Order: sequence, then structure tokens, then C-alpha cells
Amino acid sequence: MTREALNNGSSTPLRRVKRATLYVAVVTLSLVMIIPLLWMLSTSLKGDQYVLRMPPQFLPSPATFSSYKQLVELLPIGRMFLNSLFVALATTVGQLLTGSMAAYAFSRMRFRGSGVLFLIYLGTLMIPFQVTITPLFVLMRVFGWINTYQAIILPGVFTAFGTFLLRQFFMTIPRELEEAAFIDGASHWTIFWRIILPLSKPALATLGVFAFMASWNAYLWPLFVLNNTTMMTLPVGLASLHGRYLTRWNLVMAGSVITIIPMLIVYLLAQKHFVRGVALTGLKQ
Amino acid sequence: MRRLIGLLLVAAVILAIPMIGFADDPVTIRYFTFSAAPDHLEDLDQMIAIFEAEHPNIHIEVETAPWGDYWTKLPTLIAGGQAPDVFELNYENFVTYASRGLLLNLESPAADDTAFNAGVYYPRAYQAFQYGDMQLGLPATFSTVMLFYNKDLFDAAGVAYPQSNWTWDDAVAAAKQITDADSGVWGLHSPVQFWEFYKKVAQNGGSFFNSIDGSVTVNSPQNVEALERMVGFINEDGVMPSAADMGGMSDGDMFLSGQLAMNVTGIWMFSAFADADFEWDIEVEPGFTENATHFFANAVSVFAGTQHPEEAWEWVKFFTSSEEMAEIRVASGWELAALANLAYFEDYLVLTPPDNRNAVFDSLKYSIVPPVIERQNEMQDAVGLLLERVLLGQMTAQEALDQAKLEIEALLD
Amino acid sequence: MGWVLFFLLPSLLGLLVFIAFPVISSLVLSFHEWDLLSPARFVGLENFKEIISSNDFWSALGHTLYFIAGYLPSVIAISLGVAVLLNQRLRGLSIYRAAFFVPVVSAWVAVALLWKWILNPRFGLLNYALALIGIEGPAWLFDPASAMPAVILTSVWKDTGFLTVMFLAGLQGIPTAYYEAASIDGANAWHRFWRVTLPLLSPTVFFAMVISLINSFQVFDQIWIMTSGGPAGATTVLVERIVKNAFSYSRMGYASALSWMLFLIIFGVTFVQMRAQKKWVVYD
Repeated sequence: MTREALNNGSSTPLRRVKRATLYVAVVTLSLVMIIPLLWMLSTSLKGDQYVLRMPPQFLPSPATFSSYKQLVELLPIGRMFLNSLFVALATTVGQLLTGSMAAYAFSRMRFRGSGVLFLIYLGTLMIPFQVTITPLFVLMRVFGWINTYQAIILPGVFTAFGTFLLRQFFMTIPRELEEAAFIDGASHWTIFWRIILPLSKPALATLGVFAFMASWNAYLWPLFVLNNTTMMTLPVGLASLHGRYLTRWNLVMAGSVITIIPMLIVYLLAQKHFVRGVALTGLKQ
Repeated sequence: MRRLIGLLLVAAVILAIPMIGFADDPVTIRYFTFSAAPDHLEDLDQMIAIFEAEHPNIHIEVETAPWGDYWTKLPTLIAGGQAPDVFELNYENFVTYASRGLLLNLESPAADDTAFNAGVYYPRAYQAFQYGDMQLGLPATFSTVMLFYNKDLFDAAGVAYPQSNWTWDDAVAAAKQITDADSGVWGLHSPVQFWEFYKKVAQNGGSFFNSIDGSVTVNSPQNVEALERMVGFINEDGVMPSAADMGGMSDGDMFLSGQLAMNVTGIWMFSAFADADFEWDIEVEPGFTENATHFFANAVSVFAGTQHPEEAWEWVKFFTSSEEMAEIRVASGWELAALANLAYFEDYLVLTPPDNRNAVFDSLKYSIVPPVIERQNEMQDAVGLLLERVLLGQMTAQEALDQAKLEIEALLD
Repeated sequence: MGWVLFFLLPSLLGLLVFIAFPVISSLVLSFHEWDLLSPARFVGLENFKEIISSNDFWSALGHTLYFIAGYLPSVIAISLGVAVLLNQRLRGLSIYRAAFFVPVVSAWVAVALLWKWILNPRFGLLNYALALIGIEGPAWLFDPASAMPAVILTSVWKDTGFLTVMFLAGLQGIPTAYYEAASIDGANAWHRFWRVTLPLLSPTVFFAMVISLINSFQVFDQIWIMTSGGPAGATTVLVERIVKNAFSYSRMGYASALSWMLFLIIFGVTFVQMRAQKKWVVYD
């Protein structure tokens, strides 16, 4: 028997057992992860009175859509949804663009002070936003940007997280690719746009998902900076369901389900790009 | 000369026209509230509609934030120069804003307004929002804490209902007959936290501070005894669920699902409990050697730096004292307006459940206000932490209160 | 040089205005007492002196380090394992990957309630499962000894998907040629992982470690919602103290000083990590 046959033999009993164990492990872990969504769904389908019985019942009986109806009557869900969507998309595009450009400078270009500057970038991630939120609010006031879309979007665009993530990824791309292009007379922009970015699809997709998620779920900053319901985003609007004395958990869960679904869709769409960077294979011998 | 005077007159008239115009321009008043969302926004909108019809040049813009975040957002708005014109305050936070000169003194608009009569308010509530000799808020609502009891559970155990002259010994005796921990039914719930603690010590003749010289008396023998009794409900008496037993459920939820026979909570729960599938009623809370009950009140205040003090005054006056506001509140069960008008209370009293709404006003006879210092939240957290330690058995009541005395004295420096 | 500016400027300008300016403001504020409602009062190093001599700070630091010690190794090891697991040809792969991401996108508010139930000492799923194998489970969130482990458990569960996604992206960048070469040389799965996967994944692992460390020093949301820093202060961490001081105790200056103490600690640790990366991180 050749080595190849040994390695590729796919129907030996040992292999089948290994395969089966793999599936069991993956399915079990996935279930553990997905239980909250199922439970959120279950709670959102409960009537007002049955929400918090102890011991908890997993299957609502009777199951009803009343929480969703009440939610839509109580809050301008459609409007909030669109606001969240707009803000999240704008923030994501902004982060991807500015972050990738800065990451290119940090990883592919040599300039004095790049080390120190990068440490400063990292440093901005180390201060809890709860103490920077008040000076930022005063700044928005000075700009006259209270209650505007730019006030919610812009601070989220320039976080150093995106630059850091993309810089790490860019550093794994072999230099030979650019050197060849330089010799052919390509400019930095061409290399950036035509070579680096296409090779970075997994990282860009990853950052896109994270940026979208951070913006989609943002709560404290929009709460501070927005005054009225027409511009409210989903988390801010849904927080009002938490009364001072009693919380209507079935409505809260209905709101959570509505909030999660778009995020999962974004993730599924981005997943397509978590595919092997084919261009890299066969490069090294 | 005449020409000059004539020109001046014309100029004066021309200059005056915009002034006249401004007086009629719609003014927007920003009103920031924590109590309206989410259940009573419609009621608030109704009130605003009536108000705006009566005052066509004033427009009210409502801003809301959930309770916890309200106290984060309000200071931020003020710090950022974006303070609302009118905002809600509760008693504990009132002092913080009043003492820093952030609230408009309503004495002068009140004195100028012939249509206003301070006697329309429940006196205790009106006085609560005076600071020195200034009236810095108008009382919007007030509430108190009562003993709620589940009649069905009492009937099933054959125990007589609570009476207004009960002491905690009576309550515990009744609770013992109803408690069946294994089935998850408990006789009593009265949480071991700051607000309950200062009330229980008062029920035992104690206090946080000496009323004459202001010294800290939080570790007096009466206080220690009260704390030991409170913790004893869970441990020695075994009639109250511990935090672990409750497992994250609120006492309100437990009461609603028939797991608590007696629950000490506020009258704001009336509408939440209205749909309960059992009979329930209320009674004045028991005491140790005397009765002491909570008095909580919310006010609306005007920001000292508002651009529109007159319009803001009109709104706070309407929101706290108009009959239309009172009717809407009663109809939708949105808290109790702080009015002295007995007729208004009659409307409130005939609503059921609970039957024994008169007990609310009996309760107010024994009401006390919380101990308030400058660094209030730090004191509440410090005392709360020490109470938790006693509950967990990490400290005795005496040790905890001795420590509380030291910490409170440090906060008073 | 012009090119450097071209690429760097949009990000840098935005960072300076929207991020660096508030950060510098907070540094200035740390030398003041400010209750947000009255003008700030300069107090020099008073806040820092108070921090160093207070029990609060050191106790909060200790709890934070406890959290990190339990959380960081667990979340990285588990995410790495899961990423390798999901990096194979399996039927329904995208569904499993999506499943792992569900906790990540769920808001803590919704998830915390579920976990309070799972961790319920009497009726919860976890103690029920433990009882089946003869172990009496602790009171989890209600016992000072087991509260932080409970928080660590829920945090690992929630964040695993985040790092898994990152590791998966990194794994995509490893050419199959390397694996084939290793197989031909007789390497088994374990060897392939240690000799091929890990080294080539090290930039991503490095990133994961740095980011996770920075984030876990600032752990807050789950503690705020599930335990409020309790029971009896057992889960009080640094950012909880910062938030309390900033907004509840009206001491924004003191809270800013706390943040900068935290910054110094995080910066120091990150700096050490950046230096150490030369020893184990393999760039191309």
C-alpha cells in the first residue's frame, strides 16, 4: 500500500469513528452556543403572565406573537431598525476604508516614528470609553452635532481596532508580490487596491462583521447624543422596555430577536469570504 | 427737532415689531423624564396635547432615558451645555442638584401667578422639594411602601389576614405557618438593603444620625437589633427566601407567581399586580416598637439656566397640579399625583385591586424620609455592601454597623 | 513621504479628533475633582494618592487579575481548538460557524438573564447536570467564592465565537501546500498543528492575545448586569469602580485617574507582549 492510500483511505472503521466523533463534538458545541437564541425565541413567544415562572419552561404554551405586536405598537421599530442599519453600514464602510489605509502605511511602508505612532494607536484602546464619553459629548456640542447622524457614526469609524487587526494580517502577505509590482512601475495605491486588498478578503470580511456588530449594538453613546425618537437606534429604543420597577421580559426578548437576526444575516453573507485565499497556495515550494 | 423725534418714534416702533413677533413665536420646552417610558408615553402625550391646546405658543418636546441611565445622561447633558429646560428628579437626587444652584427658584413665578395656589399640593410632598427658603421643584408624584399579601395563600393555610397593628413578630408567626420552602412558597419578603434598613431601624426606635448634634448613630443597639431581626427572617426564622433561593427572580415576579405570601413593596406595583390570578390586598407595614413607613416623591424642576423660564413654569404648573393631569393618571394607573384634593383621592380609592387602598393614607401618617448626605450614593453603596456581608455571614450585625459608622464618618469629612 | 501621509491621514485625523482628544481630556481631568455639575477643581496628584492608598483600587485590581487568569487562557485555547475543528470539510459547516457566532452578537442584557437561570442553584441546568454525575453544584452567582468563576464561564462562552472567527480567517491564509508537505514527511495531526498551524497562525494568535488582554482588563458589561459587582463585592473589577465613581459618586476626576492607572497597567503588559513577540511570532 502506498502512503497516499494510507492517508487517503476514507472508509476504514477508524476513520469513520473519528469522523463521527468530530460531528458529535461540533454539533454539541453548536447547540451549546445556540441555546440562547432558542431560549430568546421561546420567551418572546410567551404571553405576558408566563414569562418568569420557576422552574423555567422551555416550550411556551400557549405560544403567541403578542409580544411582537405590542412591541411594534409601543415603539417605532421600523424607524429604529432603519436608523441602526444606516449607522452600522456607514460606520463599517468608514472603518474598512480608513483602517485598511492606515494598516497599509504601518505594515508596508517604513517611516520614522511608525513604531511610536502605532503604540499611540494601541494606547487609545486602553482607556475605558466611560471616561472619554463626557469630553466627547462636550466636543459634539461644540461642533453643534448633538442629535445628528455624524455624531453617532464618526467616533466609531476611527477606532484603532480596525487598523490593528488589518496591520497584523497585512504583515503576513509576502513582500515578493509588491516588489514585483514596484519593478513594473506600480504606485502604492495600485498595489494597495489591486494586490493587498483582494488578498485580504478574510480579514476585511472579519473586520466588517466586527465593525458592523459594534455599531449595531452600541448603546451608551447613542443614548447620550440622541434626543428624540426619529433618530433612535434599536438598542436605545429597546432599553426603554426596562422599567424602573418591572421589566417586560417577553417584549425585551422579542426586541433581542429582532436585533440579532440582521447581525446573523450579515455574518452569513460575510462567511463566503472566509474562504482560502487561493492566490497564496502554490506560491512557496 | 420734531423730525428727529418723529424718526426716533418710527425707529422705536420698527425695533419693537420683532419683539412683538418673538412673544408669539412658538417656544420649545425640552422635558426630560424617566417615569413615562415605556408604558405611559401615551398618557404623557395626552397631557401635552391638552397643555399645547391651552398654550398655543408652547411646544413640549419629550426626552426619555431608562431609570439607571437617566442619572448618567442628565449630568452629562448639563456638563455639555445641553441641559433640558425641565426635568424629573426624585428625592435622593434632588439635594445634589439643588445644592449646586442648578434649579430655578420657583418662588417668584409662583408669586406672580395669580392662578397658582401651593395649597393644591400634598403638604409633605411640597415641602420635600424646598431647599433653604427656595422652592426648587414642584411635586409630581408620591408613593409609599406597603405590606402586600396573597389572600389565597393565607386562606389555604388557615391563617388570619394581616392587621394594621401587627408587629413583625405577628408577621413572622403567620409566615411560618405558610412557608413551605420545598415547594418554593415563602411567607415573607422584605429585602435587606439600604432603604428597608433605615426604615426598619426607625421602626425599632433607632436612626442613622442623631437629630440634635448630627453625629452618626448607625451602630446603636436598636439598629443592631433591627438588622439582626431582618437577617433573621431568612436564617433563624426561615420564612424569607435568600438571594440564592430567589435565583435572580425579582420579588415582584415571585409575588405574581404565587410564591410569596407577604411582600413589602411599593404602591407603584398596583398596575403590575392587577392581572394576578389570585386575590390580594394591602395593609400598613408592621413595625417593631413603632411604625415607620417610606415616603418617596418625584418632582419636576426647571433648569436654572433655561432660556424660557415663563413657559417652563407654565408646563411644570400644569404637569403637577392640573385636573386633566390627575384624571389621566388615575385612569391609567400612572402613579399617584401629589395633590391634597380629597376628591381626587376618592377616585383613586374606589379602584380595585387592592380593596384596602385607604391603608395607603394610613401608611403616610408614619412616613419618614431617608437619611441624605452630600455623598449619598457612596453611603448607600457602602451600607449596602456591609448589609450583604452580614447576610453572607461574613460579619455580625454589630461588626458591620460599627464599620458603617466609620465609613459614613469618613464620607462626611 | 507624501504617500505615507496619504494613507495615514484619514485615520490619523479622525483618531486625533474623536479618540485622542477625549483621551487627553480625561488625563487632564484626572488632576481635578469634577462632579459634572459644577466647574472642575484642580487637585494635582490627590486622586492618584487616594487611589494608591485605598483598599478599593487594589481589591478591584485583584478581582480583575483573577478574571483575566481564568478567562484569557481558556478563551484562546478553546477558540483555537474550535477554529481548527471548523476548518475542515464538514456538511453544514456554515451553519455551525454561524451557531458559534450567535453568542457574540447577542446583547448581554438578554444573555445575562438566560445565564442567571442556567446558574440558578436550585432549578438551573448547570447544577442539574452536575447532580446527574453526583456533584452538588455551588450557589454560583450568589456565593462570593463561585461568583467570579461563573462570570468567567459565561464570558468564555460568549466570546469564543469572536476569536474563532478571527482564527478561521487566519487559518485560511495558510497554504495547503505546507500541510501536504508535512503529511508527506510523516507528521500526524498533532504535529501538523504544532509545527505548521501554530507558527503560521502566530500573528493572529498574537493579535488575539493582545486584544483579549486589553479587553479583559476592561471587563464590565456582564458584571454590571449579572452581579453588580457582588455578592459582597466579590466581582468588583476596575471598570466597575470607574463607572461608579464617574456617574454615581459624581467624581469624574477620580474616575479618570483610575482609568489612567488602568491604562498604565494595560500599556505595561502590552508593551511586554510586543517585545516578546519577536521570540515566537512568525511573520512572512
